[in-house]
Amino acid sequence: MEAPIIQAKNVDVFYGEKQALSQVNLDVFEKQVTSLIGPSGCGKSTFLRCINRMNDLIPICRFEGDLEIDGQNIYHPAVNVVALRAQVGMVFQKPNPFPKSIKENVAYGLKIHGLTNSKSSLDDRIEWSLKAAGLWGEVSDRLDEPGLSLSGGQQQRLCIARAIAVKPRVILMDEPCSALDPIATAVIEDLINEISKEFTIIIVTHSMAQAARVSKRTAFFHLGELIEVGRTKDIFTNPSNEKTQNYITGRIG
Amino acid sequence: MNNTINFSKSTSFNLPKRGQSEFRFQIIGIGAILLSLAFLIWLIITVIFGSMGAFKHVEIAIQVDLTSKNVNADDVNSTSFGSIMKSGLREQFPDVKKRKDKKKLYKLISVESSLELKEKVLDNKDLLGQKVKIWVSASDDVSLYVRGKIDASLPEDQRKITDKEISWINNLGANGQIRTKVNWGFFKNGDSREPEIAGILAALVGSTLSLLVCFILSFPIGVSAAIFLEQFAPRNRLSDIIEVNINNLAAVPSIVFGLLGLSIFLGYFDLPRSSPLVGGMVLSLMTLPTIIIASRASLQAVPPSIKEAALALGATPVQAVFHHVFPVALPGMMTGTIVGMARALGDTAPLLMIGMVAFIVDIPKSILEPATALPVQVFLWADSPERAFNEKTSAAIIVLLIFLIVMNLSAVLLRRKLEQRF
Repeated sequence: MEAPIIQAKNVDVFYGEKQALSQVNLDVFEKQVTSLIGPSGCGKSTFLRCINRMNDLIPICRFEGDLEIDGQNIYHPAVNVVALRAQVGMVFQKPNPFPKSIKENVAYGLKIHGLTNSKSSLDDRIEWSLKAAGLWGEVSDRLDEPGLSLSGGQQQRLCIARAIAVKPRVILMDEPCSALDPIATAVIEDLINEISKEFTIIIVTHSMAQAARVSKRTAFFHLGELIEVGRTKDIFTNPSNEKTQNYITGRIG
Repeated sequence: MNNTINFSKSTSFNLPKRGQSEFRFQIIGIGAILLSLAFLIWLIITVIFGSMGAFKHVEIAIQVDLTSKNVNADDVNSTSFGSIMKSGLREQFPDVKKRKDKKKLYKLISVESSLELKEKVLDNKDLLGQKVKIWVSASDDVSLYVRGKIDASLPEDQRKITDKEISWINNLGANGQIRTKVNWGFFKNGDSREPEIAGILAALVGSTLSLLVCFILSFPIGVSAAIFLEQFAPRNRLSDIIEVNINNLAAVPSIVFGLLGLSIFLGYFDLPRSSPLVGGMVLSLMTLPTIIIASRASLQAVPPSIKEAALALGATPVQAVFHHVFPVALPGMMTGTIVGMARALGDTAPLLMIGMVAFIVDIPKSILEPATALPVQVFLWADSPERAFNEKTSAAIIVLLIFLIVMNLSAVLLRRKLEQRF
C-alpha cells in the first residue's frame, strides 16, 4: 500500500485541564475519502481541526504529539500556519460564504495567495472551481450576486468551490451536510465522490449511512480515543471492536 | 359530558383580565409616544416662530452728503462717516434741537451703519461727490418696532422706544425710507454686540472645523482601538482593566475632558487657545469612548464563522479582519460615531475650559484661529440683555438643529451606500 499523506502519531489534545484526544494514531491516504465517525464529543471534530491548526484560535487548546503531512510535522515551530492552511482547506458545518458576491467568494483565496497573475486566468480558475463544485450551471449568469442569496445547498457547494479554488492537497469537511436537506445532501455526496479523484478528503459525519456512501476508509472515535480504523466496508460489516459494533448498530451514541 | 369548546365565549381562560392588561399596556405605550411627540412639535414650533424675526433685516434710507466738503476722495479711510450719517439724519429732522433728542435720533440707525456706509463708498467710488440716498441697518429696537414686536399701546415708560422715536419712524416709513429685507447678513457675519448685524457664520465655521478635527482624530483612533481590543488583544487582566476604564470614560462629565484639554493641550503643548484644533481634540477625547464601545459591539455582532472561513482559506488574522469582519461591522461603527459626534456638536462645557466661549467676531480661516461653536453662540446670545438677541438665539438653535440633521442624514446615506456592497 502507498505511503499515507497524513500521519498522526500519539496525538494528545487538551482544552485547559480536560483531555479531548488521547494517543491518536491515524494514517490518511492520498486522493480518497476518509470519514471520522463517533458520538458527539468524541473528539472527531477536534482531530479534524488539528490538521489545519484551526484549534490554534482557541487559547486554552494544547496539542501534543506528532501530526505529519508529507512527512513534515505541522506543529513544528518553523511551520507557517498560513502556508499550511493554503494546503489544507476546510468546509464548515454551516455554510459560511463571505457576505460578498459569488465571484469574490471563489476569488478570495486566489487573491490573497497571489495564485493567478491575470484577470483572465482568475476568471478561468473561478469557472474551473465552480464547475468542479457542480455549481457553474446554476450561477454562471449571476456571478456578481451575493453568495448569501443562494440556497443552503448551493451555499455549501460555493464554500467547497472556494476551498478547492486554491487547489489544496487536503480538504477537511466538518459535518458539511448537517444543515442541509436530503436532496442537497445527495448532491454534495456526489460532489465529494467526484472531487476525491483530485483531493484528499477527510469528512466528519454523524450519519453512518453517509460515511458508508462516501468514504473508502472510516475511523471510529469514542471518548477521545481512536477505537478502530479500517476500510469502510470492514468497519460497517465486520468491526473488530465491540464499541464500534455497538455504535454502528445504534446501541451507543 | 360535553367536550365542545366554545371559541367565542370570552369569559373562559381568564380572558377578560388578560385582554384588559393588554389594552392597558397599549394605551400607556401610545400615550407615551404621543406625549413625547407633542413636546417635540411644541419645541420646534416655538423655536421656529421665535426665530422668524432673526431672518428679517430692517433698513433705513438716509440722504448723505458725500461731496468733497465731507469726503476727501484720496483718503477715504480718514473720513468720519459717522458724522456724515448724523448730519444726514439732522437734515431730515431739522426740528430736533435738544442734545438729548439728537442722541436718540442718531440711535435710529445701527452703530455699525457708519462702517456700512464706508464699505459702500469703498466698493463704489462713483458715489463720491454726490448727495445720495443710502440704505443702512436700523438699530435693533427700531427693527423690533417696525416688525411689530414692540407694543406701541403700552405706556411710554414700559417700552424700549419713546413716542418721539415712534413719530420719527412713522415719518420715515411714510416717506418710503424704511424697508424690510431677508437677513442674509445672519448667515454671512460673525458675532457682534449689535443684534442687527450679529451673524452665525463664525460659530458655524467654528463648529464645522472643530467637528472635522474631532472626526479625523476620533474615528480612525477609535475604530483601530476597537478592532485591536476585540480581535487581536489577548484576554487577560490588563485588557479587562482597559475595557472597564473605557466604559467608565464614556460616563465622565464632558467638562472633565475640558480640564484635561486645558492642562495638556494648552498648558503643556501650548497649542493656540480658543482654536478649533484644540476644541476638536477635546471633543474627540469625549467621543472616543463612545466610538470604541459602539465599534466593539458591532464587531461582536459579526458572525465568527466569517472570520473562520477566511482563516481556514489561509488568510492572515489581519487580512481576515480587514477583508471580512471590518466591512460588515463598518455601518454599526458609523452609527456609533454619529452618536458621539452629535453629542460633541451640542456640548459647550469642554469648550468653556479651552476658551472657545470668547466673544469672537472674525470668521476663523483655519483651525488655528480663535473660534467659537454653535452651542456656545446660543448660550452667549441667550445671555445677552438686548431683546433682539432673543430671536437670534432661536435662529441659532435652528441652525444647530439643521447642522445635526445634515450630519445624520449624510451618515445614513453613506451607510446605505456601504451596505449595498454586500
